[in-house]
Amino acid sequence: MALGNGNGERLTVRGIELEAVRRGAGRPILLLHGFQTVNPTTPFLELLAHHGEVVAPSGPGFGHSPRPKDFDTVYDLVHLYLELLDTLPDDKVTLLGFSFGGWLAAEVAVACSHRLDKLVLVDPLGIKVSDRETPDILDIFNKSPDEVRRKSWHDPDRFAPDFNQMSDEALVTYARNREALCLYAWHPYMYNPQLPRWLGRIKVPTLLLWGESDGVVTPDYGRAYSRLIPGSQFELIDCAGHHPEIEQPEIFIERVAGFLKQ
Amino acid sequence: MQAWYHCENVYPFVPQEVLDRADSVRASLPNKYCDPGIAANLFAECLDEHLLCDDLGVNVVSIEHHSGINSLYGASPMILGILARQTKKVRILSLGTLITIRPDPVRIAEEYATADVISKGRLEIGFVKSGDSEMVSGNANPVGYVDRFWEAIDLIQKTLTSHDGPFSWEGKYFTHRHVNIWPPVYQRPHPPMWAATGDPETSAELGRRGMVNALVLRGPEASKRAFDTYRDARREAGLPAPGTDRFAYAALCYVGETDEEGLQVGSKTLWFLNTSLKQSPQMSKFLPGRMPPEAAAQNYRTVPRPGSQANLRPGQSLIGITAEQAIARGILCAGSPDTVYRQIMDIYEKVGGFGHFIFIGRSGFLDHQEAEKGIKLLAKEVLPRLPAATPTPAAEPARAAE
Repeated sequence: MALGNGNGERLTVRGIELEAVRRGAGRPILLLHGFQTVNPTTPFLELLAHHGEVVAPSGPGFGHSPRPKDFDTVYDLVHLYLELLDTLPDDKVTLLGFSFGGWLAAEVAVACSHRLDKLVLVDPLGIKVSDRETPDILDIFNKSPDEVRRKSWHDPDRFAPDFNQMSDEALVTYARNREALCLYAWHPYMYNPQLPRWLGRIKVPTLLLWGESDGVVTPDYGRAYSRLIPGSQFELIDCAGHHPEIEQPEIFIERVAGFLKQ
Repeated sequence: MQAWYHCENVYPFVPQEVLDRADSVRASLPNKYCDPGIAANLFAECLDEHLLCDDLGVNVVSIEHHSGINSLYGASPMILGILARQTKKVRILSLGTLITIRPDPVRIAEEYATADVISKGRLEIGFVKSGDSEMVSGNANPVGYVDRFWEAIDLIQKTLTSHDGPFSWEGKYFTHRHVNIWPPVYQRPHPPMWAATGDPETSAELGRRGMVNALVLRGPEASKRAFDTYRDARREAGLPAPGTDRFAYAALCYVGETDEEGLQVGSKTLWFLNTSLKQSPQMSKFLPGRMPPEAAAQNYRTVPRPGSQANLRPGQSLIGITAEQAIARGILCAGSPDTVYRQIMDIYEKVGGFGHFIFIGRSGFLDHQEAEKGIKLLAKEVLPRLPAATPTPAAEPARAAE
């Protein structure tokens, strides 16, 4: 795999073609998207690009990335990103994961800490912390769209997607992302029961950033997550829900940049 | 022609204001609104209707829906077992245990084989893909459900036709390393198989497999498309052309003594369309895997773009329909025996014939006495006049085990 030059809009990893957004230069920052793929015009992306070369692939089935037949588990996604790491020329890579991508980033870090210099998890999913009758992760498929909207954003009127205003293409991508997510994470819903046992293997400096108003996975879930990763820092971002990088891009980047400089 | 009585055992007694307030009448409506005493009476009535059918030579359908006012037949295999024992003559069609939400098809095959044995070979096995809300209530991934559907059918068929000791199955969706059910099926090689679908790709596969294609509340145009697809697929596969015995048409249907009575009572079945289909958006248009992502361009918007047409799932387009519209669209047959006969034959001509007429003869507030009257009139005044099914050449006839 080669990251290539310029905007590098496609990557190929073990024969699997991935759409990718690329910005900036310098230290490699691999960004794993959450429920939705990274919008190339989103403000945090440009800001992040001041601190390194950001590569944000869309997972198979997400965005415009085709999904190979029988590629349909989190296991596949984790190994795809492990393979991607193996083929990067740099010794060390900064790994950044949002939400669902935060889960994948945690799995990658468990397996391959030695290839990372820093790990940033932003409102990650992936573990179960409460009892069997208390769901930790908001069911974005089974709950009403109004509830999901309300719990996902600090300021939904300003930031939640407005389907009536979105283009046909953007809506199709949105639905395709949901379909891929559902395929990978329907059951168990958005977590790996085995992951908490192994999070202690993560040996790199780790920052968990959390939107204070996140109702998809609450800050308490984040604190529990952080306790499982030795030495990790946990920080809240005010006036942000499940997507602090979108609701508070400047503060988000300030925190990430500060952590990367440590 | 074979007539099949189809009753969903609906529960219409939830106060309308509760239904109006609920975002869905399926999957999420609390079961405190279902009085088990009333439910017990409904089960008794509906099962009695099936026994009446047995006396009259009308076959019966055992359906399955979950967690809602549209049906109390969630534990379908139990109902199937009762019908297998209590009816004595007619054929029993399971349409069907929801194979896309059950984790182990081998267990389903075991239930089917048992019902076939209890009924002494009167079982027919129909497969359905499940409704949207049932993916939620059944905790089943809606993405990939079609592939799961076919693998489940393959495994059930293999289970029913294997008689020489355990076999192993390690498929994509199901694994079961030691399959050897007792008792085996009564009919050999296995009970006739059906599936309810209007989806062209599925109809084509049914054609290649020689399974009966049932269209439920789809109207003549969609049914004809499915049947044509079925015929084409068989021709392309070099298989003999199907007789009408491979095709089933299902409609709401009520036969009264007069047109007025038939229409007045039959209109009550529209409750099924107008009240029991209400589903929340997350269990319909936003549920992944049920519609292609391309449909989102229109379906996700609350204010459609000018000139665009929402790409709704078939059931959704029936909500709010009137009796006249339902009759015109071939969804409802209602009137005197002569009228209903003409309505059925009109549909028959439009679709190119069918050997099975499935009539949904009770729904909503249509009560037990009315249902029994409609069943009797259909059995005595309409059914004898309907054309006989034509057989499909080389279709493997079911026969009793030695």
